[in-house]
Amino acid sequence: MASFDVMPDVQLYQPAELDDALNLAERFGDSGWLVGGGQDTYGWLKDRAKNPQAMIELNGIDALSGISETDDGIEIGATTTLREIIRDERINRDYSLLAQAAGRVASPQIRNVGTLAGNLVQDARCWYYRRGLACYRAGGNICYADGPESMNREHAVFGASRCVAVSPSDTATALVALEARMIAESTSGRRSIAAEDFFVGPDTHITQMTSLKDDEILVAVRIPSKWAGKRFYFEKVADRDVWDFALVSVAVAMSMDGDTIADSRFVCGGVACTPHRLTNVEKAARGKALSEESAEAVAGLASAGAKPLNYNHFKLPLMENLVRRAMRG
Amino acid sequence: MDFFATYKNDIWGREVLRGVSWDLLWLVIVAAFIAIAAHAVYEATQKREDRPSSDGPKVSRHEMIDRAGHWIMAISIFALLITGVLPIIGIEFAWLELHWIAGIVLTAIVAFHIVRSVVVKKPSEMWISGSDLKEPFDDTVKPGKYSVAQKGMHAAVTVLTLLVIASGIIMFAMIDTPWWERSNSMSEATLGFVFFIHGLTTLGLIGVICMHIYFALRPEKLFYTRSMIKGWISRDELKANHDPQRWTPDETP
Repeated sequence: MASFDVMPDVQLYQPAELDDALNLAERFGDSGWLVGGGQDTYGWLKDRAKNPQAMIELNGIDALSGISETDDGIEIGATTTLREIIRDERINRDYSLLAQAAGRVASPQIRNVGTLAGNLVQDARCWYYRRGLACYRAGGNICYADGPESMNREHAVFGASRCVAVSPSDTATALVALEARMIAESTSGRRSIAAEDFFVGPDTHITQMTSLKDDEILVAVRIPSKWAGKRFYFEKVADRDVWDFALVSVAVAMSMDGDTIADSRFVCGGVACTPHRLTNVEKAARGKALSEESAEAVAGLASAGAKPLNYNHFKLPLMENLVRRAMRG
Repeated sequence: MDFFATYKNDIWGREVLRGVSWDLLWLVIVAAFIAIAAHAVYEATQKREDRPSSDGPKVSRHEMIDRAGHWIMAISIFALLITGVLPIIGIEFAWLELHWIAGIVLTAIVAFHIVRSVVVKKPSEMWISGSDLKEPFDDTVKPGKYSVAQKGMHAAVTVLTLLVIASGIIMFAMIDTPWWERSNSMSEATLGFVFFIHGLTTLGLIGVICMHIYFALRPEKLFYTRSMIKGWISRDELKANHDPQRWTPDETP
């Protein structure tokens, strides 16, 4: 595949107001490309694997940046950088799960410029797809990652439907665990989408990772106070400690009643095309204390129903071990 | 060929077929509606004889089992078209499972229909013969059980349905199901050809089905549609539209 040191010839728009950005998003539709930190963008463009007509850079819009309190929790602007999230006092106090997840994204350099929205809406990292092959996700009629000789160590063990790519976002798992809501806006208005519904699988939308429409911009993420200050656990296993995507990660929010778990949300990353909730683990964990015994009792449920590919069977015990570690207390 | 098909580069960089060009969908729909409108206008200008009465003695046209088969086939084809085509035009939902389930139903009912037609019924009564070709040009020649237009429609639906099923079965092997895990064993060029045939025959079916529904709803043909629901036509309808020498159905209560 050809790769270039220079950017392709593409129109660049740098609106200062959200309304202007929304108008541009509407005008260009699927031939426009929204840019935050650009960490998912520039690779695609330099490889010429995606060829948008126009880039709409959102970093100059003040309304999309920053962290503020709401009546019921906090709101994080779409272009707030991961570094700002990691260092924010309120987030570290009440929603440290998100700070931990954001702290494991890529590398310090990328976290300095990478935005929350960019991390959430980034495209699949399947290398067959990224190479520009005409796979299902690219509108073709085959999955190169799911064949007898395919290299699919990083791919899905749950929820695959033709495409077997996984959701690559670390912050997505934390936000699903925290029951966040995504605020999407277009010229026709705003809508609030539960994080769990924001990420979509290939059975429904094989060429996109989220339910965002072509003319919509993810403007903010709202985290309700329901899980503020609760017990959290985040762990990400990757081939490298920095600058790598999760082989498997787990984000857990637990509400404790004394020593026992009253309610919990266990969400795995790197195992499905969307952040994957472990609802059977959540049910089994209810009423149990954090202990080695409880960990053993529920860990095996994490991988129930998984359908591993040729080279990713290791994800099953890895998931179970991450749940085990979350339950040990 | 570019007008009919889309292409892609395979993993080796060679240009291969990807499938049919779905822009043709709009062409097929527009062409079908133009044909329907033209026929409707033509028919409106023709002098009409009084329609035969549906009252009086009745004769059997379709047995219950054939009527049930027809409607199961119709429902499964509609389910296949809805689940197959709506996502292509942007109405996205989890369609794949519904699509192959409807495909299995269609395949089973078509297989049943073929066996029944060959073993129990007379296959010749549905196929176009030389004598049928006089019908459109001579008002005095009346058909047997089926007119040449009905036989032509049946032949078109048969060819298209068998092709869409055959290509669908090959594509079915390429996805995960409760019975097997998919194989990516087919070359991309062959797979593209299969997708092309599946898409092209789907487009053909859309056109043919538009015409079929139109004729089924035409006032002078409605008695055929009624017979596909209730099973009978009247003796008057038989006399007005069919040659009793070529088709002698049983009386029905």
